[in-house]
Amino acid sequence: MPKVLIANRGEIAVRVIRACRDLGLGAVAIYSDCDRNALHVRLADEAWHVGPSSARESYLRIDAIVDAAKRSGATLVHPGYGFLAENATFARACADAGLTFVGPRPEVVALMGSKTAAREAALKAGVPVVPGSAAPFAADASDAAIIKEADRVGYPLVVKAVAGGGGKGMRTVASREALVNAVRTARSEAQSSFGDAAVYLERRLIEPRHIEIQLLADEHGTVLPFVERECSIQRRHQKVVEESPSMALPPATRLEMAAAAARVAKAAGYTNAGTIEFLLDRDGRFYFLEMNTRLQVEHPVTELVTGIDLVQWQLRIAQGDRLDVAPEQALTPRGHAIECRIYAEDPDTGFLPSPGLVRALSVPGGPGVRDDRGVAAGFEIPVFYDSMIAKLAVWGQTRTDAVARLARALDEYRVVGVKTTVPFFQWLVRQPAFLDGAFDTTYLDRVLADRRGRPFVEPTSADEDAATITAALAAWFRAHRAAAGRNEVGTRFFDDLSENESRPRFNWRRAARTEALRSS
Amino acid sequence: MTFEVEIQGRTRTVSIESVGAAGPEGGRFRVVLDGVPRSVCARATDLGLLLTDERDGRTSDVAVTERAAGEWMLQLPHVALTAVVDGRRFRRRGGGPAPVAGEQRVTAPMPGRVVRVLVKVGDEVALRQGLVVVEAMKMENELASPKAGRVKEVAVTEGTSVESGRLLVIVE
Repeated sequence: MPKVLIANRGEIAVRVIRACRDLGLGAVAIYSDCDRNALHVRLADEAWHVGPSSARESYLRIDAIVDAAKRSGATLVHPGYGFLAENATFARACADAGLTFVGPRPEVVALMGSKTAAREAALKAGVPVVPGSAAPFAADASDAAIIKEADRVGYPLVVKAVAGGGGKGMRTVASREALVNAVRTARSEAQSSFGDAAVYLERRLIEPRHIEIQLLADEHGTVLPFVERECSIQRRHQKVVEESPSMALPPATRLEMAAAAARVAKAAGYTNAGTIEFLLDRDGRFYFLEMNTRLQVEHPVTELVTGIDLVQWQLRIAQGDRLDVAPEQALTPRGHAIECRIYAEDPDTGFLPSPGLVRALSVPGGPGVRDDRGVAAGFEIPVFYDSMIAKLAVWGQTRTDAVARLARALDEYRVVGVKTTVPFFQWLVRQPAFLDGAFDTTYLDRVLADRRGRPFVEPTSADEDAATITAALAAWFRAHRAAAGRNEVGTRFFDDLSENESRPRFNWRRAARTEALRSS
Repeated sequence: MTFEVEIQGRTRTVSIESVGAAGPEGGRFRVVLDGVPRSVCARATDLGLLLTDERDGRTSDVAVTERAAGEWMLQLPHVALTAVVDGRRFRRRGGGPAPVAGEQRVTAPMPGRVVRVLVKVGDEVALRQGLVVVEAMKMENELASPKAGRVKEVAVTEGTSVESGRLLVIVE
């Protein structure tokens, strides 16, 4: 039975493990110090330690990962998304070590991974691109040179990392004053996220929609484009909700876009799974934005409307299988699917990260609900990696059905111990613009700015009273524990409720007795 | 015992008096909330407390997590609240900027790593001017000055790992 090493963590590692199981392949996990008891480690057939918690010393360590693959006897390496998924050096290192990288060939990763080279490839395939700079800035480019290039591209513009992805290393700039600062922060973020500080400029289209085409391509020349996904609900360039199909795309444009995507992929000699992202302007014209040479976070919505398992196909294509899916099946959506990315962030404090111990987790279920997650109760969400902990995807016969199901599923979601973006989604799915599909990539940042941090779910006065009394009771127990002495058995009370322990125990009688003694 | 509980931007006074046990994992309490007495039964759950108001039988399931010393996160089924019990000034959350006067301590809102320090001691800063950039979960979070004033102290340097609540900068 061939084994697959999954060079990733979190929900995507879990997703790939499941595909391995479905195909009867062995699943090998890797982990860093803080991920010793992570869900992907527990679910895999075997797990190998690759280094300390910092991503640079573990999930980005090419030598350690290739070594783990060899020691485990894995013959395939699935990179997931993020980390080394679009790193040509990693793809090459796998090939050099005799491992099959589940993805395109290293030179294709390099070509399409450079956003500027990919734009050129799209132009050559006859696909329009968003206007922007032809080449990235040199590392030592002067402020004057940057300003001059920006004037040529025109404002508003977007500073983008050449190696970027997932909204990292990206800044929107409205005018010249903010430019130099934006370039600096984008470079710093790009360096820390991708190990490559190169950035370039792109014109910002007015109120565009983000629409993308999933592709599968086998090693025998078949390229299969899928029905589009729309990912226009973004916060700071980071997708937070994705759906398929788009409400904005007429079927004729869908076919044109799919054909354009397939042309780019064919011209690049693309193999395995990839996605071509487009922007759709207000007049219904589309522009090539970039290509992701890997599986995407939002792949479940495509799986839900086509019934095709993309991760299984990735593994099969990597083993040389022929892609024998009927083109109509991939291009014809059956019903509607929507996905929410659930982050360990506090939506009521401007989405600040909320790492910590997940003390309990209750996940929605029932018809049409799919939950892909990478955490379990008892796991401490580390500060070292992305804050996404789960993806909630729903399917409905129509978009209206899907939205209703999403609202229902979100109400069932409960994560105790850390704050999550669930309350934000509960609010979002009830907004008229969301219900009507009347949004573009600027929608969310605009409405969030208008709300100025008003909480997404308002507590009732009874909720507030209960919370106040509970907080006081917690402090009361804490005081009694201190009075009774730390080492005495049975005096741990709320200590057990702190983040350090997941199983609280109370001793009410002792606490009451201690108080009686103190007051007598 | 009486506590001051800062919650949802206001301070409430709660006094707690134990009046006996209620089953192996429960206790009964006389609680006075902002001067109004009530009788409460509290039972431990695996995650916190099940509170019952003995007057009308209304029950609330509240999960309790201590996020930092004296700062409690209280999660009801559909809403999470933060309360600070007796102690530090309440850090105002949401609802727009509050008028602030006097010395202001800017602390790390979450654990992470300082990637940039944007000011030095003696700098004049404007309201909402960036002071320190803390990276956590791959995102850079710029922490801004709560007031216009002068930087009195910078307690961290670039590369410092910080825990939640750690002092970063004092603005006076």
